[in-house]
Amino acid sequence: MKQFVLASLFAAATALPAMADYTIIAPANPGGGWDQTARTMQTVMQEEGISKSVQVQNVPGAGGTIGLAQFANQNKGNPDTLIVGGYVMVGAILTNNSPVSLKDVTPIARLTGEYEAIVVPAASPIQDINGLVEALKADPGAVSWAGGSAGGTDHIAVGLIAKAAGVDPTKINYIAYSGGGEALAAILGNQVTAGISSLGEFEAQIQAGTLRLLAVTSPERLEGVDAPTLQEAGLDVTLENWRMVAAAPGLSDEQKAKVTADVEKMVKSENWQKQLADKGWMDTYLAGPEFEAQLEKDVAATGAILKDIGLVK
Amino acid sequence: MSAFEFLLQGLATAADPMMLLYALVGVTLGTAVGVLPGIGPALTVALLLPVTYRLDPAGSLIMFAGIYYGGMYGGSTTSILLNTPGESASIITALEGNKMARKGRGGPALATAAIGSFIAGLIATLLLAFLAPTIVKVALVFGAREYFALMVLAFVTVSAAFGDSALRGLTSLFLGLALACVGIDQLTGQARLSFGVPELLDGIEVTTMAVAMFAVGEALFIAGQRVQVDEEVTAVRGSIWMSRKDWARSWKPWLRGTFIGFPIGAMPAGGAEIGTFLSYAAEKKLTRHPEEFGHGAIEGVAGPEAANNASAAGTLVPLLTLGLPTSATAAIMLAGFQQFGLQPGPLLFATNPTLVWGLIASLLIANAMLLVLNLPMIGLWVKLLKVPKPWLYAGILLFATLGTIGANPSSFELGLLLAFGVLGYLMRLFGYPIAPIVVGLILGPMAEQQLRRALSISQGDWLYLIQSPIAATLLAIAALALIVPLILRARGKGEMLSQLAAEED
Amino acid sequence: MSVSRHEPPRRRDTAALIVAAGLVVIGAVLLWDSSRLADLGGYSGVGPASVPRVVGVALIGLAIWTAVEAMRGDFPLRAPQNIPPVLWIVAGLAAQLILLNVAGFSIATGLLFAFTARAFGKRNLAMTIPIGIAVSFVVWTIFSQLLMLHLPAGPLEHLVFPRG
Repeated sequence: MKQFVLASLFAAATALPAMADYTIIAPANPGGGWDQTARTMQTVMQEEGISKSVQVQNVPGAGGTIGLAQFANQNKGNPDTLIVGGYVMVGAILTNNSPVSLKDVTPIARLTGEYEAIVVPAASPIQDINGLVEALKADPGAVSWAGGSAGGTDHIAVGLIAKAAGVDPTKINYIAYSGGGEALAAILGNQVTAGISSLGEFEAQIQAGTLRLLAVTSPERLEGVDAPTLQEAGLDVTLENWRMVAAAPGLSDEQKAKVTADVEKMVKSENWQKQLADKGWMDTYLAGPEFEAQLEKDVAATGAILKDIGLVK
Repeated sequence: MSAFEFLLQGLATAADPMMLLYALVGVTLGTAVGVLPGIGPALTVALLLPVTYRLDPAGSLIMFAGIYYGGMYGGSTTSILLNTPGESASIITALEGNKMARKGRGGPALATAAIGSFIAGLIATLLLAFLAPTIVKVALVFGAREYFALMVLAFVTVSAAFGDSALRGLTSLFLGLALACVGIDQLTGQARLSFGVPELLDGIEVTTMAVAMFAVGEALFIAGQRVQVDEEVTAVRGSIWMSRKDWARSWKPWLRGTFIGFPIGAMPAGGAEIGTFLSYAAEKKLTRHPEEFGHGAIEGVAGPEAANNASAAGTLVPLLTLGLPTSATAAIMLAGFQQFGLQPGPLLFATNPTLVWGLIASLLIANAMLLVLNLPMIGLWVKLLKVPKPWLYAGILLFATLGTIGANPSSFELGLLLAFGVLGYLMRLFGYPIAPIVVGLILGPMAEQQLRRALSISQGDWLYLIQSPIAATLLAIAALALIVPLILRARGKGEMLSQLAAEED
Repeated sequence: MSVSRHEPPRRRDTAALIVAAGLVVIGAVLLWDSSRLADLGGYSGVGPASVPRVVGVALIGLAIWTAVEAMRGDFPLRAPQNIPPVLWIVAGLAAQLILLNVAGFSIATGLLFAFTARAFGKRNLAMTIPIGIAVSFVVWTIFSQLLMLHLPAGPLEHLVFPRG
């Protein structure tokens, strides 16, 4: 009898994974971009009937590398668990010497992306990107930049700008703030010379005229954005802060195809497009070999600039 | 329409019976999750936000407001009754509140917390409605050096919670500061004191530490006492309701707490806990019953609880006026607002008045609903203390670990919970106060980062720190708060202090 | 210390000396760790190593102060401790930690519940373990099924809620 109970317990436990219910790991605290991406995926996948029940689990820490390591180690061959990640992870893996890298998971697709914007307070004497570059060349220490965490996308962008302008990237006066909000407050309060973050963070302020947009890091001019690209200003810098979804390592080709199809179905749904529009996220969906090639390129370029700034040896 | 008319219209919408029901559901859900030690308002709101999506915008807004206030308030009940503060903002509440509960005064403690939260929420929401654009201008003046000065002031005033020995208070504080160094340095990305352990890279989670120190440490300490003292399990002594004297001692702290908490919540890098620290210190200085502090002074519950709730409304100031999410909770709320097509930003009050005033009306209704839900519950909550010790402490540990597991189900986090629990036990054994170590962990990184940011901006010029009038004033107050008691103590052995306090009233 | 004023001076306090030694060790670890950090102070002049260094020195200073008080016997008296109950609770927490991801929330937390109850005098584990598992299971159901909190599920949870 006892054995029977135990056996049925086991049967019940092992029968579970047959249901196509996803668990999405958000390797960050609630509130951040990755968490919001995961929770938006949850909403859309459930409402579109792609998956009956989707759970979001936050595994915060160290630029997503803790969640990534846990995900890669615990879910080998499990097609039902996904992880959200992004460009920030690429840098964090390098600066934290993470033992697990993006090579240890199965990247599925890039979902959304944002370009970086360089702004100054409205009261600043600096009028355009050339003015900022001149100030930077004259005295890099006097130009203080407010942005997100050290070694993150914003920091990397400033390093790239300095390098392209012929300024030693180790000499930049970059001031890291913990959240987008805190950095924005410092810029609005005229505490720093310039600010850098994703365009969406600044958009409302630019429209209200409290911030002056100097340039964006996109390869081409953005629709409805009145600012040159860095390339137009003679700085060879483009940078996209993208977010992606990845599956566990060790999936069979069919399993990978199934996950990719589910994600594609989600991205193509009207519901997802509406969510993106509501949140002001760009649809930069990219899957398959193209995404993998892009990823490889980003990893190499990021490693190089982090060495230049002096954050990675 | 004028602002006032918009508000009346919003209140009229929210007074619909269905809407009131949504508010009640929101408050109940928010309290139910927020009550868990270790789960703060941010996670509560993140977990429950999807529930609101199923309703129409007005309904989801009001339920959301209920969840927010419920989550903010939930922590104080367990702090007072079980000494398990689940988030940094209710640590101070536990200090005096739990002492009151042990003396059979849990009822008045819960009541002053609930009514104080209501009054603070009411005043702060009205301030938000009518003064937000002005307040935010002041808040933006605060840069790195002003924050640093504010942190210094908080450090000095927190010594009010040091207990009777300067040595043990300072040791506890510096242990907290040492723990605060663990993890990636925010400004340079370098790993400190992590010894190659990836879980340590993000530092030590304040909530884990607080739950371990208070709940686990306390359980171990009580279990270890050879003579099981039963005097402390008096569930109710005297009235369960606040007496006339309790009211007289509570109303000023409520108001002071509100006016301390609201502006600090409105500052982009303020944080709710700083307001509770400052409020506690202020009450301790101003009270006519200094001897009761540390043994269950009602002012020490009333003030910080009001400050906590006022700062929750304060957080909405930069969010609604600038689109600045200044806390994790605010960032999640921003995502929630976007669901309703509301884009917070400098133009929000002009472009979308109906929704903004609808939100403000919802906050007012949710705030009132919180009081309606909680006052009748006090009798029930207090009965919790009559639960026999084995079940009570088993339940406390169940809920303490539940919160930690729910926030981050990792064995490492539970290991920290155990390790800090043992540390909390040893510290109690040797008479070290618990609050300073937690306070050090919270304030340490803030003070360090703001100092280094300020010095980066000034390129190493220390004089920059006192060249702003606000920073200079705050530092001067901190210096006075440090020096004056020393002089007074040297002269009159503290008696003058209580005299002074009495005269000021 | 006011305590010692009313009593005859006590002997040196060995346990407090151990505390002082512990503080020295923590201070030393801080100093050692900060010495291997690259000083990326940049323009501020205050780098990542500065604050740990100050805290480390302060802790060593406090350790000396502690040692002086310990030698004078200035530490407050400690109540004699009853160790087995403390160990039961520690064992309960350890059991939960080890079993959580294997056996699920209810079973792991049920053990913690029972061990804690034992520490406070309910000695019959044959009764308290089932009660603990039942209580934990109810809590698990409420928080994971109704309030959508992510809590580890094990065989018991899967048996009742096959969709976990």
